[in-house]
Amino acid sequence: MEMINRYIYAVTQKLPQAQQKDIAEELRGLIEDMLDERVGGAEINDSDVEAVLLELGSPRKLAEQYRGTKRYLIGPEIFDSYILVLKIVLIITASVIGIHFVIQVILNPVAILDHFIDLIVGIVTGIPTAFGWTTFGFAIPEMAGAFNSKGFSLESEWRPTDLPPVPDEKRQIKRGEAIAGIIFYAIFIVILAFSSEYFGVWRFSDEFTGVIPFLNEQTYGTYLLFIILIFGFGIIKECLKLVFGKWTYKLATYTLIVNLISLIAILFMISGPEFWNPNFMMELVEAGFLTTGSELYNIISKVWEQSTFWILILLLVGLIWDVIDGFIRARKK
Amino acid sequence: MSDANEHLEKLMQELRRGTITIAVLSQLSEPQYGYSLVTLLSDKGVHVEPGTLYPLLRRLEKQGILDSKWDTNEARPRKYYLLSETGKEVFDLLVVEWKSIVKSLNGVIEAKGDDSNGND
Repeated sequence: MEMINRYIYAVTQKLPQAQQKDIAEELRGLIEDMLDERVGGAEINDSDVEAVLLELGSPRKLAEQYRGTKRYLIGPEIFDSYILVLKIVLIITASVIGIHFVIQVILNPVAILDHFIDLIVGIVTGIPTAFGWTTFGFAIPEMAGAFNSKGFSLESEWRPTDLPPVPDEKRQIKRGEAIAGIIFYAIFIVILAFSSEYFGVWRFSDEFTGVIPFLNEQTYGTYLLFIILIFGFGIIKECLKLVFGKWTYKLATYTLIVNLISLIAILFMISGPEFWNPNFMMELVEAGFLTTGSELYNIISKVWEQSTFWILILLLVGLIWDVIDGFIRARKK
Repeated sequence: MSDANEHLEKLMQELRRGTITIAVLSQLSEPQYGYSLVTLLSDKGVHVEPGTLYPLLRRLEKQGILDSKWDTNEARPRKYYLLSETGKEVFDLLVVEWKSIVKSLNGVIEAKGDDSNGND
């Protein structure tokens, strides 16, 4: 009889608490009925019990039958989105680890073995971490039932007239491009957030001796927020493109709004007096790149002083063109 | 030949899954407990594993097709299942559907047999 208890426990422990008692009692009744039928009034011995339990099958399978259909972490409704996000996250993680390795090797080629070990450690810990958190982020709402609403359902009613028209080739948004955009922005955020000190002119004398930074390190912390904001908006823009799948006036308008916000943030940031490294020219001279008064010095000095203006113009043109291009494509029928 | 048997087994599994539900519902206008259903059905030539039947009964109960009641008066407490009002309706409709499937499938199978005979 001990074996029956073990069998029932093995089945019910894998089932929801609320059903355990009821199922256990029903199963016990079943097993006793089967035993009675088998021995027909004679004494029940262990081999009879074993035979009956074998007939019922493995407790794992039985528990599976009781549990019914929902046996997954991430359901079919959101599996495609999950894979898409997972791909993006993994590519970003791998790229950041790879870029980090390359920078380290350039900075300090002698210690390449150490960097290589860092690379391996980064891959072994970073990739599973990214995988885990992405899965976690999808699994929790799935468990809470957030994806069961009508919008996500695969079987929601549809009519052939609901089918969207095939967009003109020029209106189509290539998924690959949008995904590449997201990855690009994300990699830049990570690099700017964690290794801004390498963002400048690199000094080498036999080996790497330091960086003359473009940016003002004292004020960088505050500006980092703006940078993340700007690139974050870039990611939002690419996500919108992915969702829409083709250019429409709505999407073009969203692009306009997002670009406007980015532009204001950039203006605000770049025109502030403390964004760029105020001692940049002086440090160049000190490092021996230039001598004060030389022709090269004058050229670089001019470029440095006017860089803000030209960068602004470039960004302005780029962002405005982005919007105009969107509207032009949206017009195509 | 063993290859054919393998396929047959898989296909039969799929086929049985639906028909067992009909067989079970057909016996539950009177209350039955799980094991009495197993013997009842097997006497009529429908073989159902208890490991399939018991979870099925619970699912049908959860869907509201069956009602259940524990009977603790006997020596062994037993859970009896019975068609609910909805269950009766469902069963009647299911029988109509089943008959139409049998009819049309018979038509299809036999027509095919005629064809091959004609071609030979």
